Amino acid sequence: MRRFVLRRAAYAAVSLFLLSITIFLFVRVTGDPTVLLVEPGASQDDLDALRTELGLDRSLLVQYGTFLRDVVQGDFGRSFYYRTPVLELYVSRLPNSLLLALAAMVFSLLIGIPSGIMAAVRVGGWWDSAGKMFALLGLSMPSFWVGLLLILFFSVYLGWLPSSGSGTALHLVMPAFALGWYFAAAHMRLARSSMLEVLGSEYVKLARLKGLPEARVIAKHAFKNALIPVLTLAGINLVLMVNVAVVVETVFAWPGIGRLLYEGIAFRDFPVVQATVLLGGTMIVVVNLVIDLLYAVIDPRIRYER
Amino acid sequence: MTRSLRRALLAGLVLALLAPASPATAAPEGSLTWAVHISLAPTFFDPAETPGLITPFMILYAMHDAVAKPMPGQAFAPSLAQSWTQSKDGLVWEFVLRKNVRFHNGEPMTAEDVKFSFERYRGSGAKILKDKVGAVEVVDPHRVRFRLKQPWPDFMTFYATPATGAAWVVPKKYVEQVGDEGFKKAPVGAGPYRFKAFRPGIDLVLEAHDGYWRKTPHVKTLVLRVIPDEATRLAALKRGEVDIAYSITGPLAEELKRTPGLTLTPTYLPFTSWLVPVEQWDPKSPWHNLKVRQAANLAIDREGINQAAYLGLSKITSSIVPSQMEYFWRPPPPRYDAAQAKKLLAEAGYPNGFDAGELSGDTVYGSAIGEPAVNYLNAAGIRVRLRVMERAAYYLEYGEKKLRGILYTGSAAFGNAATRMENYIVAGGRYVYGSHPDIDGLFAEQVNETNARVRQQILTKIQQMVHERAMFLPVMETAFLNGVGPRVEVHGLNVIPGFAYSAPYEDLKVKKK
Repeated sequence: MRRFVLRRAAYAAVSLFLLSITIFLFVRVTGDPTVLLVEPGASQDDLDALRTELGLDRSLLVQYGTFLRDVVQGDFGRSFYYRTPVLELYVSRLPNSLLLALAAMVFSLLIGIPSGIMAAVRVGGWWDSAGKMFALLGLSMPSFWVGLLLILFFSVYLGWLPSSGSGTALHLVMPAFALGWYFAAAHMRLARSSMLEVLGSEYVKLARLKGLPEARVIAKHAFKNALIPVLTLAGINLVLMVNVAVVVETVFAWPGIGRLLYEGIAFRDFPVVQATVLLGGTMIVVVNLVIDLLYAVIDPRIRYER
Repeated sequence: MTRSLRRALLAGLVLALLAPASPATAAPEGSLTWAVHISLAPTFFDPAETPGLITPFMILYAMHDAVAKPMPGQAFAPSLAQSWTQSKDGLVWEFVLRKNVRFHNGEPMTAEDVKFSFERYRGSGAKILKDKVGAVEVVDPHRVRFRLKQPWPDFMTFYATPATGAAWVVPKKYVEQVGDEGFKKAPVGAGPYRFKAFRPGIDLVLEAHDGYWRKTPHVKTLVLRVIPDEATRLAALKRGEVDIAYSITGPLAEELKRTPGLTLTPTYLPFTSWLVPVEQWDPKSPWHNLKVRQAANLAIDREGINQAAYLGLSKITSSIVPSQMEYFWRPPPPRYDAAQAKKLLAEAGYPNGFDAGELSGDTVYGSAIGEPAVNYLNAAGIRVRLRVMERAAYYLEYGEKKLRGILYTGSAAFGNAATRMENYIVAGGRYVYGSHPDIDGLFAEQVNETNARVRQQILTKIQQMVHERAMFLPVMETAFLNGVGPRVEVHGLNVIPGFAYSAPYEDLKVKKK
């Protein structure tokens, strides 16, 4: 078991190392950020001074070495735009992203699971068709479009909800819906297919043969087992919601990590982009590592596999 | 009580009753909220770190004050300094500071603070300022002297406009006590509004500073809310969540204009857009011919572009120097005459037009102005294709002189006509592909010219030569469009020439209910 844990941890470390090189190089491929940090027409002297101040006049190797050394010590550098430590920015935005992701997740599960189960139980029926339509819309409508429609209808037309910002529960409603719909659709589809698979299994047939009421067969025997893959997907989706809600956070002026990433990209703020991608990647790697370890605990055969 | 004393008391009472209530002493009340298009960074709270952007001045005008700064009707208005003098040899500038000015923490503002703020300044333009200024001397607590190494006619342009933030004064004692990071977390200034709260990425809240020397602000609380998406900014304005929304463009600006109760208000930065045929310096290129460049100038319907892209609110121009800049010379207004353009092309030897390659520009203005310009040029026979590039990549390649054909250019850098020419017209400028020796010579002549009249003559002459030689295809001074809600009585937009945002904040007013 110890060797298995060490091996998986080593894989995770290698993944993060490769991610650090990739993101470091990719942001630099996009070009010189200094022209975005001054008004067009700034003098060469100002551009040169800014480049020196930001450390961009050094060789790539030296820049990467410094970046890696600092990251290992928990220092992700200073934002080019905000001129404050990036980690401080990230930590200040993280609670907002967690709150939005949790709300969106609750919404997506509350909508996705029951509608998926109902669609599976009534295959080909009205519920199934409505569920498919819901999933199709959720997966195909871009979230900025959903966001703007929500603002126009609930905020400008009806005047029920604040158009943007954060601070109260009302502020959370529309962004959580806009972010959660896409994932609700994904959860609904998986819940449906998983439920269909379980409903066709031998033990469900046995439960029915035993004469158990249909509601009990579905609720007690089928539902629990159908839920496992949905919750596994939900776990990974939660990490995604925290890190990549770029569009929703921008449309609703929600001060989370997604918007920080958007600002980082817009201003070529290399340290911000590097930190958000690397920390987001770390979350995904850690979640995968934990899942791997849990699988190994649940299924002892896994640890012998290479 | 004697009769004379009674009479004096009575007269005092009558005068007190008759005297109008001074609005300047009325307590601030109410609040104003802005929807800001760009994220506010703590670095904007510290004048020492002013980058080469106009954005931080949105906050500096509220929280801080400068020795001198642009104010309504004045390019260099006395602010913390009540007056100044320049020595005859142009080497010494002496500023007399106002007495009884206090920072938000109660400390008095003195010459030591002015010297400290200048020496601490490390933002945009710091190098040129430090290269030119030899020493800053404190003469007495309310008198400070700047000694230049050589006469520098642009000293005030760099010191006292948004070209730099060096004139904005911070309290020396407090900064030394809390350090640079501490200052950004709890900034203290001498401006009309004091820092109250800042939530990164969300908002900045400011509260009126009753003791501001110029006047007590009318509005008690200012809130600058960050809303990056312009459709959301407009929605917030329509709902009354904000009172002023910055940067609303295109169809949304039209919608704003149509909405009852809202007002579309343009402001004008020193931001000019123009096209430049960079191959004019190649004798083999058609662009080398003056008539071709004049034809291209006539081929573009600038007013049409203005109507389509900016609802007619931008100002069409024939110069790359913004009209509000010092030493600006106003050329004849641009003309649109497609027939004359074709005639000139024929006279230049291109009766069937010619292939002019690409018109390159950045994704924002290069597209908005470049696309219609391409259509107009093609209609006249100057066959050109649009190439839109990402902004940073575009300006990098432009600066490195890698681009050919026609280039879109826009500059919003602060300064005066001379500083604008330095980057775009004179040999050695970052965006200069070629130059005329006679213009370079004239430019060199005015650099150390301390006589403003003579300097004005030289700079006018240069602008005339640039115009006659049709070195550029100037298009417009691009408007920055904003929305104002129904609660606002005085919005402060367009009051200070060349400033994009609301100011001076102490003058703003909310309508009484």
